[in-house]
Amino acid sequence: MAARRPLAALAVAALAGLGATGCSSGGGITAAPIEASISHAFTNLYLLQQKDMGNPVPDPAGLHTRATCLKGTPADPQSGAGADWTCDVTFLVAGPATPVTAIYNLTVQTTGCYAADGDGPAPLNGSRTVTGPGYRQVHNPLWLIDGCFALR
Amino acid sequence: MTLASGAWPTFAADRPADDRPAAGGRQRGGSAVVWRAEMTKMAGQWRVRAAALACAVAPFAVLMAFNVQGATPSDTLFGQWIHTSGWAVPMVVLLWSGQWLLPALTAIVAGDIFSAEDHLGTWKTVLTRSRSRGQVFTGKLLAAASFAVVMVVIVGGASMLAGLAGGSRPLVGLTGQTVPAGHAAWLAALSWSTQLPPILAFTGLAVLLSVWTRNSVVGIGAPVLLGLVLQLVSMVDMPLALRHWLINTPFGAWIGLWTQPRFVGPVGQGAATSGLWLAVTVAAAWAVFRRRAIGAA
Repeated sequence: MAARRPLAALAVAALAGLGATGCSSGGGITAAPIEASISHAFTNLYLLQQKDMGNPVPDPAGLHTRATCLKGTPADPQSGAGADWTCDVTFLVAGPATPVTAIYNLTVQTTGCYAADGDGPAPLNGSRTVTGPGYRQVHNPLWLIDGCFALR
Repeated sequence: MTLASGAWPTFAADRPADDRPAAGGRQRGGSAVVWRAEMTKMAGQWRVRAAALACAVAPFAVLMAFNVQGATPSDTLFGQWIHTSGWAVPMVVLLWSGQWLLPALTAIVAGDIFSAEDHLGTWKTVLTRSRSRGQVFTGKLLAAASFAVVMVVIVGGASMLAGLAGGSRPLVGLTGQTVPAGHAAWLAALSWSTQLPPILAFTGLAVLLSVWTRNSVVGIGAPVLLGLVLQLVSMVDMPLALRHWLINTPFGAWIGLWTQPRFVGPVGQGAATSGLWLAVTVAAAWAVFRRRAIGAA
């Protein structure tokens, strides 16, 4: 999008020339920090969701949340900002025999912040609200996860 | 409208008698006198008053707009929590304003504070007073910096006040953790305070353009334009060694305050980046200003 603007494109070209020493232009954005950040955030927000729904709050360590993130397809370069990151977040809610996987589509920005949009399973992260105590609709914290990680 | 509405008499005549220079001597503390005169002029300018008023009102307008419409700015960090916790308000305002509004605010004054004298043809008058060129430069620079700081305090303070309305509830941080209300208020204030170094760097840049081009349109317009262009440039992947030194990168240095574990490296890096930009632009502005022949056509 930026490249379509001539002035920005010029500036980018100039900057690219200046930064020709480097070459690794992923800007510190790779799967590992995203996975660490989103699994941590997911665990925290799952607990918040269960609390808001009036359910018993599980032990966070017992969830063993893990995330696997991919940019585009496995054939694509796995670094850099973009709206084509996807993460599978797997957690154990009812023992090791029944892992649950939540899917997120991420827009990762060059700043190291991302917006992860829930893409199923629908009752978990598919809607903006969930049903709380007394059939009250409350904000679903897993619907959209905003997070940031350090660029290294 | 005149760009510097004539407050110069305060500079020359309203001075107490014992503050008058000895024959041929330069005043000590002359920079402070110039600073005071500039601040007085500034307070009389409609642009400055309008900017201050807008900064004080805008956060409340944002809050009211969202409350009335029930809309949620979920494309912004913290936006989805704007109806949950009041402390999302200063963060949303910060995210919207940091990249372009703050450079524009400081440029209103810093981009004009030197070139207004060219525009009005008043350099001869100013520089034949008892203040040295260095004192005039320092006083004007400090006045521009003071304005920048005051503006950050006004817009940051107003957005914190707007947040106070729903400020008793916790906010969700940037790793999903629940941040208790009191701590969220503290983090919001800290985040706003990290805007000071980069806005001062933009102040230096606007002062340089104002001195160098002698043109207020460039002095005010170019930093605003640069802020917008760099916002686009920043959306492109580039080596970190380069990104760290862009003048606008420090505006986003606060994000690590809101994560678990916290990372504050960018705040220190941002201060270094802003300090470098400020030093270079001010040194260049002084180099140009010192050598300028006043009175030549």
